[in-house]
Amino acid sequence: MENTLQSLLDLAGVNAAVVYDGAGRLVAQRGKAVYDRGLCEQVGGPISRAVDSIQLQHEDWEAVTARFGDGTLLLRSLGDVAGASYVLAVVADATLNPAFAAVAIRVAAIKLKKLLGGAASLPGLSALHSSLGSSVGPPGPGGSQLGAARGPGSSQLYPPGAHPASGSRPAMASSGLSWSKTGGSSPSSVAASDPAASAWLTRASKELARHVGPMAKVYVEEAVRRLCADATFSLAHGPALAEELSGQVEDPKDRTAFLQALGAGKAK
Amino acid sequence: MAQLDVMAKFQGVKGVVLGDLDGAFLDSVREPNGESIAAEMGFLSSSLKEAGEALGLGVLGTVALAGPVHASLVVVRGQTVITARVEPVKALPLVEKSVETSFQELT
Repeated sequence: MENTLQSLLDLAGVNAAVVYDGAGRLVAQRGKAVYDRGLCEQVGGPISRAVDSIQLQHEDWEAVTARFGDGTLLLRSLGDVAGASYVLAVVADATLNPAFAAVAIRVAAIKLKKLLGGAASLPGLSALHSSLGSSVGPPGPGGSQLGAARGPGSSQLYPPGAHPASGSRPAMASSGLSWSKTGGSSPSSVAASDPAASAWLTRASKELARHVGPMAKVYVEEAVRRLCADATFSLAHGPALAEELSGQVEDPKDRTAFLQALGAGKAK
Repeated sequence: MAQLDVMAKFQGVKGVVLGDLDGAFLDSVREPNGESIAAEMGFLSSSLKEAGEALGLGVLGTVALAGPVHASLVVVRGQTVITARVEPVKALPLVEKSVETSFQELT
């Protein structure tokens, strides 16, 4: 599944490719820079609600193309597999070639349907492991529906609530981008002292992404390392970090807007 | 509303519903089921708007829905949501193009 999503990601203009189940839970994901697992999990809810409302008018829907000012969100129904429905979501920017994307998504959808169908026909998560060639976590209570949790560079799949680190990082799932609370073996290499600090980093990354694009999270991580050295990032570092990050925004007006969005006053 | 009447004249558009992002029904042309369509497409647009904001995609403009038999095009302008029922499905790209050109002139 990872390979199929990666093939979509290799398409010019595509920033993320995600498979959700009918409840909006992330099943598998590949994304560039800021489009990490945390952010993709965050949009699972609205996408799931959107799909539910589509089905009221178009029960047989196959594809949805939502065009935004700065990009496109493409949804493709993967149909029902063993009673559960799945959706492929592709996030793209303005450079996407719609014709190429349509073909690539159709091909990916066929492959994903086969993979999901194959996984569902075998009992338990170990079956999914065999089918997808991925490492599979231990089954959790009531884990018949597959959710997934993985960090960059890994392809592990876990049922909801069974991620090995989920107990120690309760704030991460709802804070958008992923920041480590304790450092160490987290998806992000910077550590936040508490959920509020983690949420602030997420907001800073998103605000910066409006101006500098998908490298924003990398800039945030680098700035936190410069500013905090070995210390954990806390909200007290916020204003200084905002000033540091504002150096990445070239246009003075945009810089002011960026600082104001982070509540850090006016740009110099 | 001018946009509703303009859209209703596009080739391939069988019915049009005017609503808002809260799902309120405002008007319709050749569409007897306007109230439920306005509610459902208002909810759809709000949900996609929320997803788009989180993903940093900017302002939602249009949503094209396609299946083997049915197709719809939803146009979002500010709080306004206009939904067009498109038949046949293959007319959807043409309707999208028409919306793109005509709505630029109107707004």
